[in-house]
Amino acid sequence: MEQVKCFMPQTLAEALKIRKEHHAVVLAGGSDLMVSNSMGAGITPAFNSPVMILTGVKELKGIRKNADGSVSIGALTTSAEISRSEFVHPLLKDAASRMGAIALRNSATIGGNIGNASPKGDMPQPLILLDAKVILKSVSGERMMKVDEFILGSKKTALADDEIITEIILPPQEFTHIFYRKIGMRRANAISKLTLSSAATVKDGVVVDFRASSGAAGPKVARSRAAEELLIGKKLSELPAVKEAFLDAWNGVISPHAMPEYRRNTTRRMLAYFIDALAAGHPEGRVE
Amino acid sequence: MSATKIGDRIARVDAVQKARGEAKYVCDLSFPDMQYAYMVRSTVPRGKILNISLPEFPEGYHFISAKDIPAKGKNELWMIAKDWRCFADEYVLYVGETIGLVVGPDRGVLKELKSKIRIDYEEQTPAVTIDDGINCVGGPMFPEKNSNVMCELFCEKGRPMEEVFAEADEIFEETITTPYQEHVHLETNSAIATMEDGKFVFYASAQCPFYIRKSIAGLLDIPYDDIIIRQATTGGAFGGKEHFPDVLCGALLVAENVVHKPIKMVFDREEDTQFSVKRHPSKCIYKSAIKDGKVIGVQGHIYYNCGAYLSSSYVVLQRGVFHGNGVYTFPNTYLKGEGIGTNTFPTCAFRGFGAPQTLFAIETHMDHIARHLGVDPLEFKMKHICKKGDETTTNGHIIEEVKLPEMIDVLTKESDYRRKIKEYKPGCGKGIGVAMYNHGGAFTGNGEQAIIKAHAKLVKEGEKVTILVGSTEMGQGFKTSLRKICASTLGVSMDNIDYPDPDTSKVVDSGPTAASRSTMIVGKLVERAALQMKERWDEGDFTVEVEYEHPEGYPWDQSTFRGDAYLGYGWGAAIIEVEVDKLTNEVKTVGIWSSHEIGKAIDELIVHGQINGGIIQSLGYGSMEKLENKKGYFKQKSMSDYVIPTSMDFPKQFYHIQENPYPWGPYGAKGMGELVFNGASAAFVDAVERALNTRFTSIPIPPEDIEEALKNVQ
Repeated sequence: MEQVKCFMPQTLAEALKIRKEHHAVVLAGGSDLMVSNSMGAGITPAFNSPVMILTGVKELKGIRKNADGSVSIGALTTSAEISRSEFVHPLLKDAASRMGAIALRNSATIGGNIGNASPKGDMPQPLILLDAKVILKSVSGERMMKVDEFILGSKKTALADDEIITEIILPPQEFTHIFYRKIGMRRANAISKLTLSSAATVKDGVVVDFRASSGAAGPKVARSRAAEELLIGKKLSELPAVKEAFLDAWNGVISPHAMPEYRRNTTRRMLAYFIDALAAGHPEGRVE
Repeated sequence: MSATKIGDRIARVDAVQKARGEAKYVCDLSFPDMQYAYMVRSTVPRGKILNISLPEFPEGYHFISAKDIPAKGKNELWMIAKDWRCFADEYVLYVGETIGLVVGPDRGVLKELKSKIRIDYEEQTPAVTIDDGINCVGGPMFPEKNSNVMCELFCEKGRPMEEVFAEADEIFEETITTPYQEHVHLETNSAIATMEDGKFVFYASAQCPFYIRKSIAGLLDIPYDDIIIRQATTGGAFGGKEHFPDVLCGALLVAENVVHKPIKMVFDREEDTQFSVKRHPSKCIYKSAIKDGKVIGVQGHIYYNCGAYLSSSYVVLQRGVFHGNGVYTFPNTYLKGEGIGTNTFPTCAFRGFGAPQTLFAIETHMDHIARHLGVDPLEFKMKHICKKGDETTTNGHIIEEVKLPEMIDVLTKESDYRRKIKEYKPGCGKGIGVAMYNHGGAFTGNGEQAIIKAHAKLVKEGEKVTILVGSTEMGQGFKTSLRKICASTLGVSMDNIDYPDPDTSKVVDSGPTAASRSTMIVGKLVERAALQMKERWDEGDFTVEVEYEHPEGYPWDQSTFRGDAYLGYGWGAAIIEVEVDKLTNEVKTVGIWSSHEIGKAIDELIVHGQINGGIIQSLGYGSMEKLENKKGYFKQKSMSDYVIPTSMDFPKQFYHIQENPYPWGPYGAKGMGELVFNGASAAFVDAVERALNTRFTSIPIPPEDIEEALKNVQ
């Protein structure tokens, strides 16, 4: 049997050079790639290109708060580390803490979760709501774009074959109200059937910001500025009147292929519940 | 060392070794010049094999198929019938049917060879569901009968049902279906074949070593003694390793006869999920006659989907029919069972062995009748429960005192059931449900006497005693229980008792490790042998062997299915409380209370573990374990799409053990391994129905199915 060519760089510079020269597949925690390429016990996984295991590149690990209030998360930071961090927004912590099982959360990384671009991936959903950005590096430079733009569709991203995801940046967000639900096939260690994040900022009785994002609801995370605009700028007292229009618009955004009715109805009920809570003057914080 | 007493709480003898990862399973065993095997399987559900084209096999690599069965051998595995072919030849009957093995030293090379084998089929329309089978979709599977019915039986009691229906105030009829279930034993199916001194030796992850020997010997037409089966540490089975190891070992035997080197076959989880036996899906049409607020007659038409081969299905169906009235005595019953052949992977034994399907159906049916009559389901059920001396569906009698009223008393108090049913209005989102169930211990009727004739042997060497039986430890705790029974009967420490994994050339046949019979039957044999040994203890080194003795006065006629089908039942009751999230239809189970009457608990820790596990497995069956077959292919293929509960899904359980010593069991014990699976799913569905004021006639009920049911109500 042919062996897989495997690189284990220790620095980012080294890694970028290997990526440029060999277009090696980037393996971070391995929790997706080792499963999808598995040939079974005792057999070399069937990677059809060289593999680069990034585990040794320490520069890509860790979470730090920047001077402007934004938070930088290294691409190799694991779900477990994110779910424990004091700097990370609660919506992302929710998603990270409910990914898979404990063992998986100790190896799966945020860079891998974005790069894999599974429609059922847990972290892209709140990242897109939070307007998070991703930094891509190559030997010839660096690009930054929104996660929403980086993920093009199911398993498709804007990553060039000489680039590596190095960092995720969360802009500062001060929502007054947040809502998060993951519905899996069971309460733990489950792939998502449906996830929803929603967030709002209410000032002096007016909705100054409103966002929502649906995961596992189509080829990629669904978010719609146009739908959100229907609620932004409205007084709380006006919400009941515009709620149905928003829910209809949102329903048009999601494209669930399996269990369509359940996904649509549940998403609608959850968003209606969140909006009703805002309209009813729910205290600031998390809407349960 | 002090003598072990039956009431001692014992740390399981295999616990440390397994928890530390030191136990050796088949996949951990290796022999010099180890060869590996993978199955080449049918990829179509029904069709003729037109051509098999093989790539060039390098030196030392083999493709083994029906052509390698010697002329004097027969291409059949002898389970209960001999219909299951070791290798499909000329035609295939289901997706996953074994066509051949690739065998050789390098697993990567084997996978590549396997991927290059091309099999051309002339495809035919498969029958997949029970209804497909009833309607002979794609043509009858048994043309001589012009039907797909593989096996059938009925039993009746009381007056003709037409008379009973004619005098009823009303008739309540409904169809209840239950799904496939996958065993998900922690260790996948696996076996190794090798040669020792001219004999074929197998190391197998298996429940029943003697079954394997009997099943496969005919492939080469060799005597049983030329085959030795050694059970390797077995990481769970639940019935999935009762007959199915024959399918691995049979193919390996044919290969071993060609290759003459050790050959190992270990299924991946995805293979095990898609290509192993499952629990029988069922469709039960229950029609009940109601008069003066009571059920006076039940007619049940029970269909089980058997897949393409019989395996144990006829026996499973019999148990389903015999349990078709649940824990109730109705004066008139007619229960008919039909096992339907389909072009799907054969279904076989799974904890409960046919009883869980009909018990779910009758419990749910009784709930629905009660609600239809506007009475509390538990009160309604209590008016019908059977008692000692009542006539059973097979015209036998309930032999023991039925302690269900006492058990329900404990549970309703512990769970605060009566307050909660008043407080939780139908549809309020909270609900509490209840189910009662039983399980006939050991083999049906006179099977223990007529078919199995179990033996047990004790060997004394100095102060050490070795138990030689074919019964297996598969995670259920039998090594601990049996050594405990032996030690406490002899009045010695358990540390002086050895109970090695069975090797068919060394132990006597104590019958299969199945049917909740091990403690009840084999435990009793060992107790009897130990009593004899104790009498003669000072005689030095000697051996005692005993044979099963059937109690007098409990007739059974296997040709008409009349008489005492079981010499005693385990009895159970469960109460489940749920809260349903009205936004998402997710069900949170907030309380589990159970009581089980198993005669006497030989070891409370083991019994507690069985209760916890059995109830969670049953709740998985009722709530989330969805296994669908579309056009002959299982839709769920791995543990990420076929989900079983984790410890996060259900709360800590209250459990109660009701004593009621059983005269023919060791220390009064009866079987319990299956009983604890038989009822919680019905209690769960009852609770969700009350919480949402709706009705379910099938399981499982994940959130999307609840959404569907609610839509139909509105």
